[in-house]
Formats: sequence, C-alpha cells, structure tokens
Amino acid sequence: MATDVSNELDRADNVGRIVDSLDSRRVLLGALGLVGFVGLWWAGSTAQPEYILPSPLAVGLAAQSELASGTMQAALFNSVLHWLPGTVVGTTLGIATGVALGWSRFLDEALTPIVRVLRPVPPLALIGFAIAWFGIGHAGAAFIIAIGAFWINFYAAYGGVEGVSEDLLDVARSLGVQRQLGLIRTVVLPASLPEITTGIRTGIGRCWMLVVAAEIFGAPGIGRQIFRASNSLQVDRVIAYILVLSVMFLLVDTAFRVVQRRVLAWR
Amino acid sequence: MAIESTADRVTVEDVSMVYDGSNGPVEALREISFDVDPGEFVTIVGPSGCGKTTLFRIIAGLQTPTDGEVRLDGEPIDGPGPELGIVFQEYHLFPWRTVAGNVGFGLEQNGTPAPERRERVQDLLELVGLEGFADSYPKDLSGGMKQRVALARALAPDPDLLLMDEPFGAVDAQTKTMLQEELLDIWDATGKTVLFVTHDIEEAVKLGDRVVVMDREPGRVQEILDVDLGRPRSRSDRAFGSYYEEILDRIG
Repeated sequence: MATDVSNELDRADNVGRIVDSLDSRRVLLGALGLVGFVGLWWAGSTAQPEYILPSPLAVGLAAQSELASGTMQAALFNSVLHWLPGTVVGTTLGIATGVALGWSRFLDEALTPIVRVLRPVPPLALIGFAIAWFGIGHAGAAFIIAIGAFWINFYAAYGGVEGVSEDLLDVARSLGVQRQLGLIRTVVLPASLPEITTGIRTGIGRCWMLVVAAEIFGAPGIGRQIFRASNSLQVDRVIAYILVLSVMFLLVDTAFRVVQRRVLAWR
Repeated sequence: MAIESTADRVTVEDVSMVYDGSNGPVEALREISFDVDPGEFVTIVGPSGCGKTTLFRIIAGLQTPTDGEVRLDGEPIDGPGPELGIVFQEYHLFPWRTVAGNVGFGLEQNGTPAPERRERVQDLLELVGLEGFADSYPKDLSGGMKQRVALARALAPDPDLLLMDEPFGAVDAQTKTMLQEELLDIWDATGKTVLFVTHDIEEAVKLGDRVVVMDREPGRVQEILDVDLGRPRSRSDRAFGSYYEEILDRIG
C-alpha cells in the first residue's frame, strides 16, 4: 500500500515539473510579445503627432514628471482610499448575500425578482444616488465601486453554494452537524471557496476599472487625472496614468493569486 | 489501542417506500423487516434496482419511509446523527480537510477537547493503517486509502451502528480483498454492529454473519440466510460455494 501511494506522489511531482517548465516558456514568450508590442507602438508613434499617439519615451517622461511632483502618488493614494473600502464592502456583502440566497430556498424565491430588477443596473447609472446619499468624494466613489464588486461576488458565491454536493452535507449531518449555520460553516463555505475566491479575484480587477468611472463626478484620484489630461489633450499623461492602473491591478491580482493558491492547496 | 465501543440492536419493521413516478406510484420497497443483533455483521445483497440503496438511506435516516420504521435499540431513527456511522461507495471525504481533519470532523462536532481528539484521530489512523498520512489531502490518496479514511471518520464519534453502502465497489479487486479483511479485523477489534449493502454475492457471503437477500420489483426480502462458516472464509471452500449458489439461484 505504501508503494502505491508513493507512486501517486511521484506522479504529482512530475506534473509539477511540467507546469514549471511551461511557466518559463510562458515568461519568455510573454516577454517577447511585450517587446514586440512596445516596438510597434514606437514605430506607430513616429508617424503620428504627439496628441494622437505619443511615443513610449514621451509616456515615460510624463510619468517621471508626475512622480517627481508627487501628483501621481497623491492620485494613487486617493484612488486607493475609495477602491479599498468599496471593494471590501461590496465583496463582503456580495458573498454574504450570494451564500444566503444560494443556501436558502425561501430567500432565493423571495428575493429573485429584486435581483432580476437590480442586476442589469450599471453601477454608473447610480451616480445620482451616490452623490445624494454619500456626497461628492470618497464615500460616493466607494459606493459605485462596491456595487460593481457586489454583483460579481454575489453570483460567484451563489453558484458555488448551489454546486455544493448533497452527499457532503449528508456526511456532515451524520457526523453530528445539526444547525443550518453549522452546515454553512463546516461544508458550504469551504466547498464553495474555489468559486468564491475566483469571484473575489474577478471583482478586484473590475473594481480597478470602476475607479476611473467612479471619479467622473469629482472624487480625486487616478481617474480624475486621466479626465484632466484628456481635456487638455495630454495623451502621454493619460497613458502614464492608465499604466498606473495596470500596474496596480497586476500587483493586487498577483498577490491575491498567491493567497488563493495557498487557501486552495487542497485542490 | 483506546478504541472504546458500543453496539446496538437494529430493528427494521415493515418498511415500505412508494415514489410518485410519472406513470403513477412506483413501489421501491415492500414491507421490509429484519433485525440485526448487537455486534452482528449483516450484509444486504440484491440485484441493481432492488431498492437496497433506498433501504440504506432510510436506515441512515437520510430518507423517510412511506410506511414502517427503523429503530436503533428501541428508539426510532428520525434523521442522520452521530449514533450512525455512514460509509458511502464514493467516499465523500471533505476535500479541503486533511486526512486527520476528516477523521476528526465528528469529534469537533461533539465537542471533544483538542488533545483528546488528536489522540483518538491518531488511534483511528493506526487502526486503518494510515498513521503516516495525517497531513495529506484526499486528492493525494488512492481509492483504497480514501475509503480507509472514510471508515475511520465514520468510527470516530463511536457510533452504535456502522452502515456501509457498497463501500468497496469503486476499488480494484486486489484492494477490495484487502479492505474486506481489514474491515473484519476492525469489526473484531471494535465490536460494532455492521450493516453492509452490496450487489456482490461473494462479498456478502464472505463478510456477513447473516445475509439479507433482496429481490426486485418491488424491492423485498427474499430470504435471510445464516452463514455458518468460520473466518477467514475462502471462495474455494465447498460450503462457501453452496451459499453462493443458493443466493444466485434466488436472485438470478
């Protein structure tokens, strides 16, 4: 018996090695693609005036000057001030509501009509409410972002809970779990963790996009800077701030992937 | 080994099950009655469609019969609970828990203090021969090992009755033989009452003190056979063969 197990562990190791080698290939090809893209951009920019397509170098210089004046850091800091609370609140409420409706048939049937009505509303359509309820500033922008995070996480959690195996619930019951909350804690939440974490990850990315939209009515931040630069046709600054968003998304997404991998090590 | 134990008497009385099918009611089980004595190993064997899995789910408290009842030491079973240890064919381990976490699940629920829990989990892992795998996840285990974990998990809260539904139906023949022998050893060591459902006649004769033979359409008890053979039992034994033939005749 011990031998048949070690065979299986060996096999898992081999798979791991194949994945590793794939990864280095991936990194290489990815780098090549990136260099090619920047090259094309550069070539294109030589044939166009600055306000249509600035060169990569011009964008770099713009970024440098924004950094030197501290404008970029301040904008980033301001954006984080509504991105973070918006994402956290929207994600938490989305997961909680998704789990509740996925688990309870009563809640599902009672609330589905409301979900159907509210779901198609784009977060930006709620700007009027955001301003009226929370004012122009971080709270209003956080509200818009929270709406975006809410639905993604709601559907991810809902789907995850719906897919939880009846058999695992039977096993838990037979081992002494009696209350519904106990079943949710011991089976439903861990079993739907893959879907829930995927939802969180998708939501985090979506919320960075919403940061720009949420700042349309005056909340300070990266989006604000992008609008300003656009209005004065400073396309190099526009691109510099877009890249800040990309970098932030990449950093947060990578960090979350590491967390996700650890949390789902059992898969 | 500190595997303390209790065993109880099971009474199945006039259990009938009728489903609402699209072409009218479907009779899955008709007036099933039998007893299992404390500490006895009883196998239920029958062809597919004889309702043995339905019967299993009713005894496990996972389904309510249309008629009749199942009692455990005189108390009607009205739902699943820690007095019934259940082992399914498909293991149904919690994939997010380690082997030790799976085995300890029932002990967490009944409030066993952590040090005691660890000790008992360790004892149970030794009992099923998995002491080196406490920290492994189910995905890294073979089918046979998963079923050992499922067995240890079912035994952990010290159930009065161990209920098994084709537990060795998904493993290869060699592993199956090994697991059967281990189960008999564990039964011997713990003195549990065991009710074991299978479609495999050889397995039913090999394991059971008695064999409940079921037939289908509707699912009913054909006969209850005492298997008067010493253990270990061998298929090549002549007496074994005649039990086998008799059951085959009845349900074939």
